[in-house]
Amino acid sequence: MLKRFFTSREALLVGAIGLLLVLIASRFPAFVAPSNLANVFNDSAPLILLAIGQMIVILTKCIDLSVAANLALTGMVVAMINVAAPGLPIVVILLVAIGLGTVLGMINGVLVWKLSIPPIVVTLGTMTIFRGIIFVISDGKWVNSHEMSPAFKAFPRAELLGLPVLGWIAIIAVIGFSIVMTRTTLGRAFYAAGGNPHAATYAGINVGKTQFWAFTISGALAGLTGYLWVSRFAVSYVDIAGGFELDVVAACVIGGVSIMGGIGTVAGALLGALFLGIIKNALPVVDISPFWQLAISGSAIIIAVALNAQANRDKGRIILKRAEQAT
Amino acid sequence: MKRRTFTTLTAGLSLVAGLYGTTALAADDMRIALVVKALGIGFFEAAAEGAQEAADELGGVEIIYTGPTDTTAEGQIEVLNSLIAQGVDAIAVSANDTDALVPTLKKAMQRGITVISWDSGVADEGRQVHLNPSSNALIGNMIIKLAADHLPDGGDVALLSATTTSTNQNIWMEEMNKVMGNYPGINVVSTVYGDDLADKSYREATGLMQSFPDLDAIIAPTSVGIVAAAQAVVDAGKVGEVNVTGLGLPSEMAGAIESGASQSFAIWNPIDLGYSATMIAHALASGKATAEPGAEISIGRVGTITLDETNSAAMADPFVYDASNIEQFKSIF
Amino acid sequence: MLKHAETSVPSGPATDAQSVLALRGITKTFPGVKALSEVALELIPGKVTALIGENGAGKSTVVKILTGIYQPDGGDILVDGAPTVFATPQAAADNGVTAIHQETVLFDELSVAENIFLGHAPRGAFGLIDRKAMRAAAREILDSIGAAIDPDHKLKDLGIASKHLVAIARALSIDARVVIMDEPTAALSHKEIEELYALVDTLKAQGKAILFISHKFDEIFRIADNFTVFRDGQLIGHGAIADVTEADLVRMMVGRDISQIFPKRASSLGDVVLRVTGYAHPTEFDDISFELRRGEILGFYGLVGAGRSEFMQALFGITRAMAGRVEIDGAPVKIGSAADAVSHGIVYVPEDRGKQGAILDLPIFQNVTLPSLGRISGKGFLKLAEEFKLAREYTERLDLRAASLDTPVGNLSGGNQQKVVIAKWLATQPKVIILDEPTKGVDIGSKAAVHEFMAELAARGLAVIMVSSEIPEVLGMSDRAIVMREGRMVAELPKAELAPETLVRHAAGI
Repeated sequence: MLKRFFTSREALLVGAIGLLLVLIASRFPAFVAPSNLANVFNDSAPLILLAIGQMIVILTKCIDLSVAANLALTGMVVAMINVAAPGLPIVVILLVAIGLGTVLGMINGVLVWKLSIPPIVVTLGTMTIFRGIIFVISDGKWVNSHEMSPAFKAFPRAELLGLPVLGWIAIIAVIGFSIVMTRTTLGRAFYAAGGNPHAATYAGINVGKTQFWAFTISGALAGLTGYLWVSRFAVSYVDIAGGFELDVVAACVIGGVSIMGGIGTVAGALLGALFLGIIKNALPVVDISPFWQLAISGSAIIIAVALNAQANRDKGRIILKRAEQAT
Repeated sequence: MKRRTFTTLTAGLSLVAGLYGTTALAADDMRIALVVKALGIGFFEAAAEGAQEAADELGGVEIIYTGPTDTTAEGQIEVLNSLIAQGVDAIAVSANDTDALVPTLKKAMQRGITVISWDSGVADEGRQVHLNPSSNALIGNMIIKLAADHLPDGGDVALLSATTTSTNQNIWMEEMNKVMGNYPGINVVSTVYGDDLADKSYREATGLMQSFPDLDAIIAPTSVGIVAAAQAVVDAGKVGEVNVTGLGLPSEMAGAIESGASQSFAIWNPIDLGYSATMIAHALASGKATAEPGAEISIGRVGTITLDETNSAAMADPFVYDASNIEQFKSIF
Repeated sequence: MLKHAETSVPSGPATDAQSVLALRGITKTFPGVKALSEVALELIPGKVTALIGENGAGKSTVVKILTGIYQPDGGDILVDGAPTVFATPQAAADNGVTAIHQETVLFDELSVAENIFLGHAPRGAFGLIDRKAMRAAAREILDSIGAAIDPDHKLKDLGIASKHLVAIARALSIDARVVIMDEPTAALSHKEIEELYALVDTLKAQGKAILFISHKFDEIFRIADNFTVFRDGQLIGHGAIADVTEADLVRMMVGRDISQIFPKRASSLGDVVLRVTGYAHPTEFDDISFELRRGEILGFYGLVGAGRSEFMQALFGITRAMAGRVEIDGAPVKIGSAADAVSHGIVYVPEDRGKQGAILDLPIFQNVTLPSLGRISGKGFLKLAEEFKLAREYTERLDLRAASLDTPVGNLSGGNQQKVVIAKWLATQPKVIILDEPTKGVDIGSKAAVHEFMAELAARGLAVIMVSSEIPEVLGMSDRAIVMREGRMVAELPKAELAPETLVRHAAGI
């Protein structure tokens, strides 16, 4: 069991993250101070939440490009609700965010399930539509910090044992979805539906419905993140989190989630998101020319993916009987 | 991909809206298109308001307010192409890229459309006149002055810009560097780029406070950046230690002034800017003025501008907002 | 007679001056696995050499080495007696080696001539493809193998047998000296197989050396001149076909004697467990009605395309029937999905186990329990201890040898993967098990094991439906057989009336 962990993708990523931290610490020692690491984790929380949802979607051989637009739309809606009714309790705001995100995810899911439209087409379409709707409902205007109620902005910032609520939500999601993925029939269905849709069908799993649930979960997490994002940056406008869906997919790929479906873990998504989050947070402090920053981000992604591919390389089939018994 | 689709959609919508407007108004109305960097930005919404004010004042002018949904040159080119196809009389554009729009704008001028740029300019050959909201020198001076005014004993300041390639940001910082001698004791310790994304700007501002624990001010001459930096200062608990200043909109910055993260900031009056751009476009398109060095063009209530050797002109000084006047302006733009 | 004791020495067959291509002491290791251990092989112009071995014996690896896809870790490839390195597939092609694979890679949207000459088309002016010359050359090659195919037809318009001929023509177009045929008859009808034999004779006459890989002994004895047997990555024996019997080859393959006799079963039929009445589908089958009893093995015989698999898929809920009813233990049930079927105790082991059977990335235990998740979970949560117990129970029952049930199924050999698939279905504790072509493409050693297993299932009171196209299997295993033709039941034969001629007569409608 221990041996398996040390040869796993996750262990490789933990190693890569450790190496990354050592490199950063050599240029900016304060980065690895516990309080700063907590901040980095907190800052990576939205990416972690979305990466978990995306991981599940990718497991089922789909992709959800609408997560960032879902986030932006849900964020705008809860921000506007907050402006209109500042006294509404945060619990209600959270429920609205998760509920709206869920519905938006279900729209993707139904289109993929019932109409069999390729997921990339569906979510490219809904991505555009969601952004368009934000524009329509907000009339292109921003919702600004002073318009939001103090409670609305305070929730993700509230600290518990040195970590803001935002970070705790990511931790809860990681634990919760680890259980869902390993201990529930639904979690097993995600792996089966993506690993071999034909075999899953014969085993009595409705592949389309499983994909629907994947999109629904991804949508719910995007909706939750929508509120957290808007509250954290205290601003909402059409373009927030523009292009963030690509970061989310990148986090999954770095985390060893196979784009072909069927392979991936919550731990992988978490580590992939942390890897990207650390790079994003480190680049501003390690004093590297901004002209190089994009190139460095991109190279780090490619290196991580290449390492992953290496670890994942086809080892060939075990043919000799004695070799098989030894595995 | 996403950008293209959505831009096409909005371009199409604005096209429809424009055509609808045309038929509703008298057939010989002059149609002036106000093309902005991106729709949905308060600053440009205010400029559109000013443009409408000018149109009402002039009479017989229809304003088509349009732009892409995010700040890309590609998006603007699509919008411009659809405007050329509609055959508008004049285009006044705030460009996302100095050079990329030039071929499209040249095509517009060949079709007899008056082209001016305002706010963020294009290369000389891509427009007849460029209206600077203020002069670059005045802005460059203003942003450092805003920081220095609150640092009588000098201090360390850092710049948070938009992207490494944004035209006006770079010019302002250049102009600022020219006058640094007038502000002894003020050191610019770093320049970072938030790409006009809230999350990246926030992260960069946080990084600045970590890298330079003694930082006294962050100057962000960009409206997304200044808001994000102010939030980062609040979250880092450094209100009173780090002053966020630069260029921003009163409505977006009201919270930052209130929290004390920002002492003051500046912006030209975008209403006046849209108003003036429309006045100039109208004057050129109607033949009342010609675009040549030295020409004087009246811009109504704002005054008169004089074109320099590159056919550029400055409108006015940036205006400073602080706790004393924020309440009055935050509901305007 | 053959002396296979001495043939496992590394030198392999004595070097024959006339061999066009030979392998000597070839070893190939994958990380942690030795796939080939000092094997040898010799191909002689104008002769057909059959390469024989169970699944996983290393045949495919040898083919990949011969065609330059894999590089051996040790040993020599001799071309006309001279050591040569096949660094790339192109290098192998340049040396006149060509392979016709199990699933030949061709391009549906291109014409026959384009498929034949893709990559080496005759060039005309400016280096452009000379279509006229290409068409003429394609016609010439097709004629030489007696294939009446228009070179201008799109490939997608051809039947599977014609596609094979195109693949062979493509192989010949590069002036091959060595032709490797990897199970070429797997997808062909009886008549097409005869045509293929004729073609092999033509190639022999042209002096090509042919490596023929097949599971079917009748084929091997019909066309091969020599044989080479691999087992577990080692060379076990080689020689002239004329010197051996089928039993000799089987013994070499499996390392033991295999009785070709089907397991003896004392049929004790129980109550009717499944009753199907008037099952119909708009296009695929019509009016299927039958009963099935506990402990019974019911054979479904018919030609490929008679609608047997299509009916089974409808019965299992994968596709929808238009009309008809199903009763389980006398109670009518509605089967709208595979999940319904499983919950009513019907399971289906599909023909294409690679595609439809196991989920290769998931560990053994998760594959085994996949259709039984409802039983080992409560309120959506899995009871892992129960899951493991269930998986352990059924893998042990099938004698599945793997160190850990955590091992991904993709790491297992083909035979063990198959055991996982069967364990998976048994773990659902079904009443009715449908086995679609249970021994297709299975080597002879495993075949007997499958048959024994099937007999055991029936003895335990399961009702078994066996879809099979192999007459001996239907005769040997069934208590009763239904023959289908063109989507309809044409005969229902009790064991006493089962005879090869009867089955063929009904299936072919003569």
